[in-house]
Amino acid sequence: MDPILSEIYRNVINAVPYVLAAYALLWLGLFGYISFVLRRLGGLEKQISVLESAMARRDAAAK
Amino acid sequence: MTDTTVSQRRFLGIPGNTWTLILLGLGAVLTTIDFVLAFFYTPLVVGAQVAETRIINGIAVSNQLLFSQKIFYFHVPVAIGSFLIFFFTAYYGVRFLMTKQKKYDTRARIATEVTLLFVILTLITGDIWTRFEWGVWWVWEPRLTTYFIMTLLVVAYFVLRSSIEDEERRATYAAVFGIIAFLDAPISFAITRLIPSSVHPVVLRSGGGLTGMQLLAFLLGLFGMLMLAWVVYQVRLREELARERIEGLKAALEG
Repeated sequence: MDPILSEIYRNVINAVPYVLAAYALLWLGLFGYISFVLRRLGGLEKQISVLESAMARRDAAAK
Repeated sequence: MTDTTVSQRRFLGIPGNTWTLILLGLGAVLTTIDFVLAFFYTPLVVGAQVAETRIINGIAVSNQLLFSQKIFYFHVPVAIGSFLIFFFTAYYGVRFLMTKQKKYDTRARIATEVTLLFVILTLITGDIWTRFEWGVWWVWEPRLTTYFIMTLLVVAYFVLRSSIEDEERRATYAAVFGIIAFLDAPISFAITRLIPSSVHPVVLRSGGGLTGMQLLAFLLGLFGMLMLAWVVYQVRLREELARERIEGLKAALEG
């Protein structure tokens, strides 16, 4: 390859994989964290549902 | 009084849970469009001059083409997001000091957690850019130094919280610390306007800096990232409030 063209494109050739990796890391970081928290939230909401049912049964039994 | 989350409120008739999903989807779409525009439509920024000129696609090129600059289109939105979220640490800190209501301490803590996530993403993406454009992983220039200080302050916020057992004292000290720590955010944002830096030139200014396509890609990325920041904050807040609700129900069942 023409050495001047090599010099012009040197940063492009070296940087592409790392720029793509930076984007991928950003998306994985953000969406991975959101998915992780939403899964935990799903489990907690199930627990709330169970506890609220238990409360309702206890209140019904008390009456 | 029960703490209501955005999921229980409605805005324009749409429940908060639905808004979270809408903004998650919109944020994903906008950041994807930002990615496509950045990689395929925004012009490459030029760097150091080369020995001779070459004609590429009918254009005379006599400088290196900097692909690593493409990181700008998400690195800067993430950094701006970190400053804005950190503002809410200070805001809810003030609200807590005024009212002594636990819900504001919870919100301040979650805002700081989300700030930490965005700070880490900013530092990693910024380091990659610095490495490829200037050949070093780190330089002690004004923006990077003040942002590093902000990172240490965010970490110190959690160290402070974990070192105090008494709930009200912990909340009070954290609120005061959060307000003072946030002062570094506007300093870090504005420092390059006071002390010029080649690593962080001022591009967000009137009369230049970004061309039409660059500005479009940047703004789409910025709005997308801010939506995602809001979503992260809201899902974390819902999780915390769910935990508090579970503790309340357990106490009521045992009582």
